[in-house]
Amino acid sequence: MTAKRLRVFALLAISMVFLLAWAFPIIWSVLNSLKTDSDVLAYPPKLVFAPTLDAYRDVLFGSGSILPNLLSSAIISVGTTIVTMLMAVPAAYALARLRFRGKKFAGFYVLATQMLPPVGIIIPYFLVLRNIGWIDTYQGIILIYLSFSLPFAIWLLVSYFEDIPFEMEEAAYLDGASRLKTLWRIIIPQVRGGIAVTVVFVFLNAWNEFLFAVVLSGNTVRPVTVAMFNFVSVEQTLWAKLAAVSVLAMLPVVVLGVVAQKHIVKGLTVGAVKGGGRR
Amino acid sequence: MTSFKPTRRTLLKTGTAAAALATFGPGILRQASAQESDLAPYKSAQIDWQQVSGETITVAVIPASYFENLITLAPQFKALTGIDVRFEKIPPAQIRQKSVIDLTSKTGTYATHAADPMYYALYAANKWVEPLDTYLNDKSLTDQAWFQLDDIIPAWRSANGIDGKLYGMPYDGEVTIQVYRKDLYDAKGLKPADTLEAYMSNAAALNTPNDRVWGAALRGVAGAGQNMYIYPSIFREFGGDWMKGGKLTVNGPEAEAALAWYVDIMKKYAPTAAANWNWPDIADAFSQGTVASYIDAHSSASVINNPDKSKVIGKVAYARWPKGPSGKRTTSIWNWGFPINSALPEKKRKATWLFIQWAASAETQARTAHKFAGPTKRSGVNRTSVWKDPDYIKLMNGFGENFVEATMGALQEDTDVDWRPRVPQWPAIGDTMATAIQSALSGQATIKAALDDAQRRIEPMMRG
Repeated sequence: MTAKRLRVFALLAISMVFLLAWAFPIIWSVLNSLKTDSDVLAYPPKLVFAPTLDAYRDVLFGSGSILPNLLSSAIISVGTTIVTMLMAVPAAYALARLRFRGKKFAGFYVLATQMLPPVGIIIPYFLVLRNIGWIDTYQGIILIYLSFSLPFAIWLLVSYFEDIPFEMEEAAYLDGASRLKTLWRIIIPQVRGGIAVTVVFVFLNAWNEFLFAVVLSGNTVRPVTVAMFNFVSVEQTLWAKLAAVSVLAMLPVVVLGVVAQKHIVKGLTVGAVKGGGRR
Repeated sequence: MTSFKPTRRTLLKTGTAAAALATFGPGILRQASAQESDLAPYKSAQIDWQQVSGETITVAVIPASYFENLITLAPQFKALTGIDVRFEKIPPAQIRQKSVIDLTSKTGTYATHAADPMYYALYAANKWVEPLDTYLNDKSLTDQAWFQLDDIIPAWRSANGIDGKLYGMPYDGEVTIQVYRKDLYDAKGLKPADTLEAYMSNAAALNTPNDRVWGAALRGVAGAGQNMYIYPSIFREFGGDWMKGGKLTVNGPEAEAALAWYVDIMKKYAPTAAANWNWPDIADAFSQGTVASYIDAHSSASVINNPDKSKVIGKVAYARWPKGPSGKRTTSIWNWGFPINSALPEKKRKATWLFIQWAASAETQARTAHKFAGPTKRSGVNRTSVWKDPDYIKLMNGFGENFVEATMGALQEDTDVDWRPRVPQWPAIGDTMATAIQSALSGQATIKAALDDAQRRIEPMMRG
């Protein structure tokens, strides 16, 4: 009995250490975002201090407000996610179920687009967007984001579609449902979990993207990841404000993660035919 | 510190408020600030400021108070010339990347941008930017008697010139100088170092990590504008020559001695973390009283004098670089200059030149410095005449003892055009050297091995 308890404690202790290593930067950001600049620099680091919301007030409602940037990020991320899912779901279904000429090639092609290092394609992207006048526009950035979110989403979804037993579809066809109706009514509800996971990842990637955003954005469309950088000025690093912006930028992702968690777990465990087919 | 007390908050507020006003409320500002009398000093120039009225140009700058002050005055420029200026603020690391992409693709997005002096060799070699003498010598575009090019700090002009031709007009700049805690130095009877040797022994005398005071700190983090901003001065002071016999050389006995000095002072007398510090980190540490001295940009004085977070106000003094074994003092030559993008149509190029002429003029320099209404005053004005203005001197001396003397001395006597190798391949060379310096500092490689390796990597770059 005691040996078992000891083991539980040991495991708990080890997981706490891992958790702390993961949580430390976040705790550090949250604490610093509530400090004044002189408290941020204090040594030894202050754990007990008079918390202030000054940094938040300044970054949200001050003259250098990041609200427009948060809005930019939201439009880009939501837009990318919606367009990606609208295209990725049928594409993934087709790759998983249909037999057509060049299917193998199509599958490989989708994956191949992921193999280029992003830095290498920034300049071509910039030139293309520049020529069609889409630099510093939402449609321009969303279009570019699709180039990496779409292949990623398709490949993630294919594995979920492949796991649906074909018998379920056959049952629907026998009842007289069309292919589209089957997809909508039978298949999609089954891969809800997979779709939730994909949505979270696509949204997250778009929300956190920096490399393309910094080159392709400008004064009109400037996501928060790029705007945040301006708090590291040539003159000084504004730690408290930088921390406050980081915490604000983290929030939507955390909320989305919490909301989607239920679906994600379900997606991993629940299937129509238990134990069938999941690799 | 009676005349000048910038605070971080007010600094930001005015800066960004001004930027917001310039963006959203030009109407209000134009009425408020562009009175006929405001424009009189500019109208005494014998040119037609309105010759390309109606043009719009985009100017990329970095987020910094000295550019915020300029943005605040943009409505006056609009009233004077009829030219609309759209400012885009881009962080320093990305402004280089974005402007190079713009220039290579000849899209003409940025009419001008805040440019790194080390990039002009690349720009000029590719004819991406215009030689400015064409504009300076055109009587319809420039009134030379009014503009007074010679008044602009010569070191910065030569840094922005290639083969005697000016490619970027200096707007704001800095020099590296010694910054030290006068109280700590006085307590031990020390004087600011006159030689690198003395700088080392001062650091040794003041290094008491148990009391959380370290002797010195220099930029440690790897980067062409980070450790490779400080090391070149030491290299030159040890007698190093980047272009030995016409061939780019980064190793050899002088380089080894210079790097050994740097590694030595950093390992023995700087906080361990300084190996990853950049200038804001050094200034932050100094402002908390944990570093007795550092050598870095004179403009960092505003951070260590920021009453919101500094604990050392009133205890700071300044001196020029210590001399090296070669007997020379070598400071940095840094300035943000404005070039003209060659990809622009002629009218826009003219509009850009009028903007540059306006921004670099003595009048605008004064209006963004001591005559600026907001609380942040620039410490990097581009004109000798402003540096001699008693009002400006009074303001700058608020930063601490010997500030103006050290800065001006460094600017006039310690600058060296060949401080860093001015070749088109600089961006890659700077990065290679930065890595070599850091690997020597971290002990990954011996000093000689690190430099020899850098030399091996650099040679093929120069062949290309």
